[in-house]
Amino acid sequence: MRRGGVARYAAMIALAVLALLPLYWLLISSIRPAGDIFRYGGRFSWYTLIPGRLTFENYAELTRGDFPLAIGNSVLVSVVTVVAALLINSMAGFAFAVFRFPGRATLFILVLASFMMPFESIVMPLYTLIRFLGWTDSYQALILPEVASGLSIFLFSQFFAAVPRELYEAGRIDGASWWQVYWRLVLPLSGPTIATAALMQFIQQWDAFFWPIVAASSPDKVMIQVAIARHANMETANWGGLFASASVSVMVAALPFLALQRYYVRTMMHSGGK
Amino acid sequence: MRAKWVPFAFLAPALLGLFLFRAVPILLALGGGFTGTGLTGETSFQGFDNYTSLASDPEFWNSVRVTLVFNLIINPLQVVLAFLLALLMAKPGRGVGALRTAVLLPITVSIALTSVMWNLLLDPAVGPVNGLLRSFGLAAQPFFHSQGQALPSLIAICTWRGVGYWMFFMLGGLSAIPPEVNEAASIDGAGPWRRLWHITLPLMRRSFGFVLIADTAANFLLFAPVYIITAGGPDGSTSLLMFEAYRAAFTLLDNGRSLAISTVILLIVAAVATLELRFFRADDVA
Amino acid sequence: MQATRRTALAGLGLGLAGLPTRARSTTVLKATWEGWPDSQVKPLFDAFNKAYPDATASYELIPFSDLFQTLEVRLGARTPDPDLYSCDSPLSASYGVRNQAMILDDVLDRAQFSKAAVDAGSFRGKLYSAPFANSSQLLFYNRAFFKQAGLTPPTADVAQRWTWEQVAEVGRKMADPAQNRWGLIIEQAERPYQLLPLGQSLGGVALSADGLKSSGFIDSPAFVEGFTFLQRLYTDWKVSPPGVFDPNVTPDLFGSGRAAMFLGGTFNLGLFSNKYPELDWGVAPHPYFARGKPVTPTGSWHIGVNPRTRNKDAVTEFIRFMTGPELQVEWFKLRPYVPVRRDVWDKLPEVFGTPTWKIIRYEVENTAVARPSTPGWREYEDLLRQTLRDMQTGGDVKAMLTDTAAKIDRQLLKYNKV
Repeated sequence: MRRGGVARYAAMIALAVLALLPLYWLLISSIRPAGDIFRYGGRFSWYTLIPGRLTFENYAELTRGDFPLAIGNSVLVSVVTVVAALLINSMAGFAFAVFRFPGRATLFILVLASFMMPFESIVMPLYTLIRFLGWTDSYQALILPEVASGLSIFLFSQFFAAVPRELYEAGRIDGASWWQVYWRLVLPLSGPTIATAALMQFIQQWDAFFWPIVAASSPDKVMIQVAIARHANMETANWGGLFASASVSVMVAALPFLALQRYYVRTMMHSGGK
Repeated sequence: MRAKWVPFAFLAPALLGLFLFRAVPILLALGGGFTGTGLTGETSFQGFDNYTSLASDPEFWNSVRVTLVFNLIINPLQVVLAFLLALLMAKPGRGVGALRTAVLLPITVSIALTSVMWNLLLDPAVGPVNGLLRSFGLAAQPFFHSQGQALPSLIAICTWRGVGYWMFFMLGGLSAIPPEVNEAASIDGAGPWRRLWHITLPLMRRSFGFVLIADTAANFLLFAPVYIITAGGPDGSTSLLMFEAYRAAFTLLDNGRSLAISTVILLIVAAVATLELRFFRADDVA
Repeated sequence: MQATRRTALAGLGLGLAGLPTRARSTTVLKATWEGWPDSQVKPLFDAFNKAYPDATASYELIPFSDLFQTLEVRLGARTPDPDLYSCDSPLSASYGVRNQAMILDDVLDRAQFSKAAVDAGSFRGKLYSAPFANSSQLLFYNRAFFKQAGLTPPTADVAQRWTWEQVAEVGRKMADPAQNRWGLIIEQAERPYQLLPLGQSLGGVALSADGLKSSGFIDSPAFVEGFTFLQRLYTDWKVSPPGVFDPNVTPDLFGSGRAAMFLGGTFNLGLFSNKYPELDWGVAPHPYFARGKPVTPTGSWHIGVNPRTRNKDAVTEFIRFMTGPELQVEWFKLRPYVPVRRDVWDKLPEVFGTPTWKIIRYEVENTAVARPSTPGWREYEDLLRQTLRDMQTGGDVKAMLTDTAAKIDRQLLKYNKV
């Protein structure tokens, strides 16, 4: 068993390194002088991995611009989206899993189809709709179109369908309303599903790029991916700024993942192997 | 024993959102596939013209072929790797949480930034990957600049980015399997392979179904790396359908054609997803 | 956004505070602008707002990678806003023909601008966009490498500019592909903007005068010869590295000492000075073919006007102000694009009097040829770009160009009724 454990850890560490190496390159490129970023690429040397000269100017530069605002905006938009989304998508998933009602199968298929159409093809009608509602350059425009999510509904419906029917029946027999069954009885059991759905929609908003540009381009609503992209221009590319802002973005986005780890660990505590 | 409106009360907010922000635009887009746009913006009904012109366009069929090949490889690959990774990382232990997060970190880089970054990393002249190869005495590889390596390189970078993310979904599925089930089986003498094949996998069917469908949709709709790195080349070897749709809209300024291609994508994904749903019986509702 | 509202309110307040003649309410102009750093854009808009208190111009900065697509969505909605937008000069014809750009012949006096700049914004004699910034190209060289090799570097004298043949010959001597050292790196190695001059130098014309036909033009013997020469730089002579297209990377290759020569834009002057202070480099004019004439790329950013704008007066003021002498000098100081106005060249002698800028001025006034004026520039450029890319790894140049011309012409058919 000990040997299996060591091999397992070795494999996990190797994979983690493989995943992290490019991000590590991103990070050290952001603390190098601009001229050094490409100097050591052509031929591998220690300097490729370990910067000879350090500079934190790129990060200092970021604090002087609109980058902090962009982080704030993206965090706000992502968090609000996730909170609202968890509620309404889990409710819909519950309905699909638990009830039999006319049109259920058709509606479910339509819900799935909603994430199979490329976003770029619906951006123009969406933009027209947002204009019509008077929502251009607003937080609503950034948040609301992303709250309802077919994928999230699908995820929740699977979870609720996996819960034994007896549990629902027991709750109803005890006189609980359907809302209480949902809110008090089953939702608390869905920890990992909530965590997964939250992460899924958080990343979607964190990665948002084209929609924020089209719908809310005013400087005070700047979102993080747009702020990062502005470092690459036609005539000059600020690689250092690009890498620094990208590194910060990764570090901030990693936090929810780290925080939600425990939802997976807790339920695993009982499986001891042996 | 329940009021008829109860399910609809639960569904209403989400369905309203999906209707407004997805259904209506999608219907408009589907309709748009049957129109042509004049130079000054007038749309006119053109029946199936866009579709017939696609059907007779060899570049379109090349895109279909490339897209199907891409997806036939990447979707099963990522799902299987995600599952294996989840199996590896399922047991708790010191630092496992950090290792899981490490493997998941690539998804926090947007697909556009991933493309820019890997374009540099795999650059034939200044890329560190080729630098590493050279220092081991190996030949530098053209990666995105060769017809044979471009699509595999695309698959590789998408997998680098996505596999840790899908692993989390698998972890969720694994965590729902009561440990007693496996314990009982091992007491009964079932070895690890049998337990995996006959107990774990069947109980994971929903996770597999979900990940496969979500991943399929994401990969059929993929285009950012093609747009940023290869522009469909070399020689059309990375010409994914979504890239062609994007190109039709923003380079050829042919909205009708773009929407027609998007419709084709939707139909293909829906068909594939239906097969996947059936196979994993993951829908539970149909 | 708050500042704009405040300014607008202040303007309104002032207007109502009993000033004589007419009562004008504040006009708000919206501009969809290229994603330059805010510090390089704000001063210009502030200057306009100060000079014209009853108009307020606001802007949104869109990253370059998505500017065109965003404009398509915005302008495609056919609404009165944005009033103004950043127009990439070769797209002027496209916007004009699709009724997305207002004709500016009665707003601006063409004589103020260099001919190349006016050409870049015109189609069939009508001016569809206001010249705002221009571009030019230089041959940079690594002085240290030339010293090491014991070779004479190219001269800065435009009368003795090097020929392409000379560049190739010297490039071969200085290249060492195994060591990742190259003779010549071209900044935008797949772009027609950068490469059309090769054929044009031999007398080639890239597109018919009406902008609708490329067969017989882009596949003419001049371009076949010019592009075959280009191809040999990559294939036979191994002077340049194939597959290196990213203009955000190529300057850094030269800067970090991977090439003896670099053909690139004027922005690299600042880049090399700031980012690579240890580099010993010099500047020479763009090469030409010995039996032809020198031709240089040109054209950059213009300003387009939405024909549906409700603020024609304010927009006119804006355009005239932004392309006026004072603002163009300010703009140069913020971001040193090649000037579009003829008179700006005489305004900053400490800059324009230097040998490097003298070369640039000469090119703009004598050798610059704007990209062909056609509503189908996007299609033309995209198709030709693929071919220029593919050419680097070999292939029959004439066959590839003929094939590409046919594809281009198919796409240009939709503009026949124009």
